[in-house]
Amino acid sequence: MQRSRARSRRVGAAIVASPQLAAPVPRILPERPLKVYAFDPTLGRSLGNHMTVRIPYEPDLKPGPIGKYIAVIDYDGVQKKYYRPVNLNEASVLLSGGIDPSESNPQFHQQMVYAVVNETVRRFEFALGRRIRWRRGGDPKDPLRQKLKVFPHAIAAANAFYDREMRALLFGYFAAESADFSVNLPGQLVFTCLSHDVVAHEATHALVDGLREHFTEPTSLDTPAFHEAFADIIALFQHFSYKEALLETIQRSGGFIHAPQLAPETSPGNRTPLVQTELTPTNPMVELARQFGEAMGPRKALRAALGTPPESLDIDVVTEPHVRGSILVAAIFDAFFTIYIRRTRDLLRIARAGGLSLTAGDLNSDLANRLAGEATKTAQHFQNICIRALDYCPPVDIQFGDFLRALITADTDLVQEDPFGYRAAIAEAFRLRGIRPVNAASWSEESLCWPDPEGGISPCQGLQPQRGAADPSFRGSYIALSKFGKANAAALGLSQETKVQAFSFRPVHRVGPDGQLRLGYVAELVQKRDKVPLDPQDAKSPTFTFHGGSTLLLDADGTVRYAIAKGLDDEKRLAAQRGYYERLATSMAATAYREPPEEIFELPFAAIHRGF
Amino acid sequence: MAKDKPTSIRVRMYRVGFGDCFLVTFPAPSGPEHVLVDCGVHERGDVGTIQKAVENIAEVTDRKLALVIATHAHQDHVSGFGKFAAQFRKFRIGEVWMPWTEDRQNPKAVKLKQKHRAAIARLQMYFASLPPSAEQRAGDVLQAINNLAGNEPALEQLHAGFGVGAKVRFWKAGSFASAPGDIIGLDARILGPPDDPDFLARMDPPPSQHYLTAKTGDGAQAPPPFAAKWIQEGAFPEYPLSKGELASIQKYAEEPPDALAFALDQAINNTSLVALFSFGGKYLLFPGDAQYGNWQYWLQGQDSNRILSEIDFLKVSHHGSLNATPKQAIDNMGGASLAAMVSTQNKPWPSIPRLPLLEAIRKRTRNRMVRSDSLQLKEPAPKGPAIDRMPAGFTQGDMWFDYSIPI
Repeated sequence: MQRSRARSRRVGAAIVASPQLAAPVPRILPERPLKVYAFDPTLGRSLGNHMTVRIPYEPDLKPGPIGKYIAVIDYDGVQKKYYRPVNLNEASVLLSGGIDPSESNPQFHQQMVYAVVNETVRRFEFALGRRIRWRRGGDPKDPLRQKLKVFPHAIAAANAFYDREMRALLFGYFAAESADFSVNLPGQLVFTCLSHDVVAHEATHALVDGLREHFTEPTSLDTPAFHEAFADIIALFQHFSYKEALLETIQRSGGFIHAPQLAPETSPGNRTPLVQTELTPTNPMVELARQFGEAMGPRKALRAALGTPPESLDIDVVTEPHVRGSILVAAIFDAFFTIYIRRTRDLLRIARAGGLSLTAGDLNSDLANRLAGEATKTAQHFQNICIRALDYCPPVDIQFGDFLRALITADTDLVQEDPFGYRAAIAEAFRLRGIRPVNAASWSEESLCWPDPEGGISPCQGLQPQRGAADPSFRGSYIALSKFGKANAAALGLSQETKVQAFSFRPVHRVGPDGQLRLGYVAELVQKRDKVPLDPQDAKSPTFTFHGGSTLLLDADGTVRYAIAKGLDDEKRLAAQRGYYERLATSMAATAYREPPEEIFELPFAAIHRGF
Repeated sequence: MAKDKPTSIRVRMYRVGFGDCFLVTFPAPSGPEHVLVDCGVHERGDVGTIQKAVENIAEVTDRKLALVIATHAHQDHVSGFGKFAAQFRKFRIGEVWMPWTEDRQNPKAVKLKQKHRAAIARLQMYFASLPPSAEQRAGDVLQAINNLAGNEPALEQLHAGFGVGAKVRFWKAGSFASAPGDIIGLDARILGPPDDPDFLARMDPPPSQHYLTAKTGDGAQAPPPFAAKWIQEGAFPEYPLSKGELASIQKYAEEPPDALAFALDQAINNTSLVALFSFGGKYLLFPGDAQYGNWQYWLQGQDSNRILSEIDFLKVSHHGSLNATPKQAIDNMGGASLAAMVSTQNKPWPSIPRLPLLEAIRKRTRNRMVRSDSLQLKEPAPKGPAIDRMPAGFTQGDMWFDYSIPI
């Protein structure tokens, strides 16, 4: 099948050819427009920063807003006060497409987090072709249990994070430090919930946790870094859907949207710039959370998305999760820009043949429009590939190299023909940054795909599509899966000695070789070893739970197509995990002054894992 | 002191309690030359011997120190320089060394210092506002803060060269000093602290500003972020938060700044001047209190394994705490002659020294390691493990251990 991924957007109600006299039925708007900052408040109105996102319309949205997926609760833990919740269904708000961007109006903040989280949810549902859900748990008596809670002003800290236990996003606000020429005044309040990137990043943490609950467990340098990288990838790809900002970037970069700097509005010629229009601004497309970065001081450089150039050895030495994550981000964006350039080469050639100028700041507007269209489309492809690949990852202990194999396999499953070479570009970008596929024979596309399972596994019987816990087939499928896992342990990469837990079971779609859409399933089977001592020679050392398991991709009839395993009996993996914990413990300041805890996870891991 | 021409380097470790005071004597052609590395003790870990130690230094050196090093600005390394300033002003002192982070002419250092000072002040304010019961609970944190504060008198003396014309010099990683303090035959290679931006970023106090919420002296709170008209009186109308949720948010909002205190303490430890001395073909490493970040920096260097393999003497960093001597460093350290000294005791922090770490160093040095608290004092003091048999090359005095390195 050719790579034509445009999918018709669902519309609320079909328009029926109406009989002449029937009264017109008011059509429910399928989408609700809401104003947000494309980046953050510091860019003002420049570069298309005031934008409108369209999210699915929820007619019975409650003040908060409290909708189907999220509940915005504006409780300030510092002031110990609630701020008045916005009612987005109020006529005055509806008519003006939401409240206007403002730093001093908390109701705009509430609107922005509601809009951006929902926008991110929508991306995931679009890519996965199914409804998302949040991590299980919560108080059964809580009426908001099914929703992600979002606190736009929870704490006074230069931080924002996803809390798994509360199943909530908590955003902080803080006073900026003084820095030369900063966009922030010293002492000015910076709201993390007004940074589009920060909100999309935290929402992605929650979404990934809903899909793969074990990925928040730090098991190696790569696991926490993966969570951070993935969140950054989704936040960054979102930039390319902002039409106005993208158009301006294309204009001012001559189509080279990966350029770190944009052309000035007016050329300063050969002299140093004298007025602001002669300055070369940084390219907001490839920058993450600008205001936040400036307020944080010297760390800002760390979050530049394209931080790790090809042929760098960073992968061997960088350990801080956010910085290590930026290697993976750089690999994905290298592939993305490569494909964008390939897809637009013909346009540029035609433009050149027609004698059009390709100088930055001087692009023909038709051309710029076409380039923007290609950039948006390519970004959407990449975002989909990345999100779909999550279904093809092992259930625990994800390595960057596993993700590479998941990307290639997932994309091959959906799109057989790959004329622009997406997969080759991805593999090459990873190779150039020293990220190696786990257990693959070579860098060929075929070897990078997960292998077919060993023969002789009969299909798993008793699987049924299910709609949730209320569905009687719900438990049945889980029981069938754990029995199946136990019976075929060796072939599925599971340990034969240990209990198999069917951890998740979801429908997944793919396109068969005949071009037909096929339904299948993805299931996580998980196993564990309790109370493993950190030091094998010292029974009194802190302990941890060691997880293993296998992700199964199954056809509708239960045939196993892939079994993507992380063995519980893999002693090498266990040793590596021990080494990682030891290293982590010695890098933490508090461990010098306090006795090591009984459980390794009582170490302040939260500190590394949480936060933007 | 006209004795036979000495043929060995002597390292004298004074038992001052929780603190460092090392006197190194080199057999220079001109006669014995003395280098004093740190002189301080933590107020909650003071065993009352530091004054006698200073008197002993005066006697042994005939009041002449070629070089005084203050590795970093922590009480347990510099307090003696302030407290006994009058005595030190009677010395002849050639040079005073400090890390570049103490250089008042260096804008980067000044800025870092300001940040640290502001964070320390906020921490002190926070803990001053706590009821006594909470103070007890946070004992280990308070001790970290004690260590950070009140070091100005000592630093003033050091910056002034004790008023005796000592030359004050500041060092950063990558520098090299030939014949420091005019000691012929002595070289010093400086391994830390680095001054690159990545490292500096790690020196910053953590960004979390939850201590904004700490009650200031008069009980006032941080200013509200929004105008009063936006405040909803009472609870959220339809969906009140549960007690558990409110508690979780409160916990995040008012998280005690333990992590900040420890991180700040570690940040200053990591400003430690790390000096590798070489004399007569012997190498002595004095890493101050360098912790994870500082070591990490130079261990990544190409010749780090060679440096490590040549070391004959190690002053164990940061009193033998868990994250002050990387495993990689111990594994690659020293040849057959490696020896080590650790100035430590388990007061005020029971988890220092870290026993498995000391055990690893003991193995690596083939038992040529002593810890200062093994020395019996007349005064009541925490007792470390007794030494059955003094390892070769080590001797002990009233309040010190000596190790001599033949050259």
